[in-house]
Amino acid sequence: MTTSTPQAASRQTTGAPAKASVWRSIWNHRTDYAYVLPALFAMLVVIGYPVYYTLDLSLFKTPASLQLKDKVFIGLENYSTILSSTSFWKVTLQTLIWTAFSTLIAFLLGLGAALALNREFIGRGILRGLLLVPWVVSAVAASYVWKWLYHSDFGVIGALAVQFGLSDKPINFIDNLQTGLPSLIVVNVWKEFSFAMIMLMAGLQTVPEQLLRAAQVDGASVWQRFWHVTFPHLKGVSMVTILLLTVQNFNSFIIPWIMTGGGPAGATDIWITQVYQLAFGRQRWGAAAAYSVILFVIMMSLGYFYVRSLTSGDRARAVE
Amino acid sequence: MTRLKLSRAIGHGTAVVALLGSLTSTSAFGASVDVSKWSPEYVRSIAGTEEVDTVGHCNSIVPTDYKGKLTMWYQAIAESDPQIMHQNYDEFWAAFKAAYPNIELDAQGITYNDLLDKLRTALLGNAAPMVVRLQILGGAEFASKGYLEPLKPEDVGYSSDDFWTGAMKSVKWDGVDYGIPTNNETMAFIWNADIFQRAGLDPEKAPATWDDVVAYSKQIHDTLGISGYGLVAKPNAGNTPYRFMPQLWAYGGGTLDEASAEPKYQDVWLNSAESKRALQASYDMYVRDKSVPASALTNTQAENQAPFISGQLAMMIAHPSEYARMQDLASKATGADKAVADEVVSNMRYGLIPTGPTGKRAVVFGGSNIHVIKSEYVDGGKVDEMAAKAMVCMWTSPEWSLKLAWSASNPGNLGGFKTKWMKERLDSIKFLDVTTSMLPNGIPFPVIPEAPEIMNIIIPDMLQNALTGAMTVDQAAEDAAQKVKDLVGGM
Repeated sequence: MTTSTPQAASRQTTGAPAKASVWRSIWNHRTDYAYVLPALFAMLVVIGYPVYYTLDLSLFKTPASLQLKDKVFIGLENYSTILSSTSFWKVTLQTLIWTAFSTLIAFLLGLGAALALNREFIGRGILRGLLLVPWVVSAVAASYVWKWLYHSDFGVIGALAVQFGLSDKPINFIDNLQTGLPSLIVVNVWKEFSFAMIMLMAGLQTVPEQLLRAAQVDGASVWQRFWHVTFPHLKGVSMVTILLLTVQNFNSFIIPWIMTGGGPAGATDIWITQVYQLAFGRQRWGAAAAYSVILFVIMMSLGYFYVRSLTSGDRARAVE
Repeated sequence: MTRLKLSRAIGHGTAVVALLGSLTSTSAFGASVDVSKWSPEYVRSIAGTEEVDTVGHCNSIVPTDYKGKLTMWYQAIAESDPQIMHQNYDEFWAAFKAAYPNIELDAQGITYNDLLDKLRTALLGNAAPMVVRLQILGGAEFASKGYLEPLKPEDVGYSSDDFWTGAMKSVKWDGVDYGIPTNNETMAFIWNADIFQRAGLDPEKAPATWDDVVAYSKQIHDTLGISGYGLVAKPNAGNTPYRFMPQLWAYGGGTLDEASAEPKYQDVWLNSAESKRALQASYDMYVRDKSVPASALTNTQAENQAPFISGQLAMMIAHPSEYARMQDLASKATGADKAVADEVVSNMRYGLIPTGPTGKRAVVFGGSNIHVIKSEYVDGGKVDEMAAKAMVCMWTSPEWSLKLAWSASNPGNLGGFKTKWMKERLDSIKFLDVTTSMLPNGIPFPVIPEAPEIMNIIIPDMLQNALTGAMTVDQAAEDAAQKVKDLVGGM
């Protein structure tokens, strides 16, 4: 014999209409769903299937002597091998350094440039155009140019350093364990800061002029006006810019691959170069797939917490 | 009188038997050259002794009116290659079109460093071309995976004896031939005689041993402040193993036992004392003496050309085409640079690659092979076998295997050495006889599916680990040996 509490009975009575209203709502919006259905289907094909295939592939070993269709099932061994390898943790640390420094410095430089270009002065348009050049230049072309600028024997930067007496011999930028990664970060920052600049310039348009004037009349210093008036208005666009730069830097490939190929001795290897090398250089398709799944989980987790913190204010307001 | 008639009859009979023999023979071009007599003099003596009719021969394999379609990938010539290479390729496509006007050809040139990756990816998607001309290193991998159709010289009217034994080994997997060599080359050692003289070395003598290379490099750097030897240690680039393996083998080392008379590819030699000595020699030049370019870790051989032509680099391992390339560079230089470049070209010398401590001389037996992909992996699902045969026959002929290897390599078909074009090459390409005479010292890379990873990744990684100080020489060699063991062991 079963008994039912008054609360449960109440939930049952209120549940049925709620469920009906969900279906009714879906039915009422059937045209909207029909509009998004093709896009949803395309996403399933071009995203859903590859994700499924990657997950499946990550459970197999793919030796060089076997075709992919003859792959050998090994369960979670690829995952345990990767997570227990010292190279994974070394590369993870390098990826975090690469991403954090690239993102932070590009953002700060972009912010500075946006604030400077937000004022009226002669040549502002030209300067704005010039500062956009790194962003529009092909990453491949830029990487080759920077590779030659950095060249350890005949690079322009090294030669200038010798010319101006800053060094007695050409500087070894990218053939060196210690300076390899920082040198690549400089190139990445050069390439990306204009993106941050453009985003923040757009954000600056939303700062109310009268607020800034009022603060000025009240005797606020330049820093106080920036910190208490301008910056709060840039919070939203800053968060989005940082999110986009972070995702882009986690997924970086072109600059490190072309300039150093992850070398010397793995000093500039980051996640994506490592996955590429595993898959296309060494044909460890299974291991590369497992690596990708691990990265996917890490990046989704980071993204989740980031978006949560980004929208925490909205949720708090919604509760109120 | 009777004797005369008899001798005439015997003569006629012999001629008839010989004619019948030639008609029934699998090879239309007669016996191959005698490689046991190989020397610069022998190569000169046979050049220009045989006429060939390439189109006639290939039309006997695939009729000229055959109608079909062919897709093909090949290792493209680089922009930096001498002009004659570009011209010869243009002529080849025109000759093929003339010989087979009804075969629709879609040929795509892909760079050396991209070809393997691109083919692997295309094969996974069943989108490969019907025919591929691939670097010698790659064949075993694709044959072992079952991607290639069996293919031997006899299939297109040549004899296996017309090709280097080492080259034929490179296309064999499990006792079956899966391709035909198109070209084979060995490199040589080049140096700038003027730099040698200014550094107090004999300008006309190449270093005899690898220990001498280390000593010469240091002397040049210490005396003149420029780089001595053009070390190359970039990963994922064919240049690195082509320059380090001769050193490794000369010291008595190896990756597996590929340098032995009967390689089994079971034993790992990378951590042997001899291999470590070879690695130590590179370490001494890069770290201890700093006598080689600091950029060696990101350089390919192409990046060594600029310092060489500008007189900032004294020695390197290179193709016979390097001389033509340097002439090209000098002709494009202007002003003061031109004077320097001309001076360098006039001071270029070629010699044999140095030996190891025990007198062993070794060089990578390089080259390319042509293969036919199985239908199920080809874009469109079907290989046009006759069209593929027509292409294979033309490319591996004595004529075109020579012309398409004009400045950088040698004909895969040994019959090419007998043609008038070989004579022309010997007369026009300086130092060709030196690089050609290195061929008998050639050692092929291990003929195993894992060879590309060993040569393009593990060996350069070992060098980088030692040269950057990430590991000691000993640790780097042990680490690389372990990686090879794991790899070959199937881990």
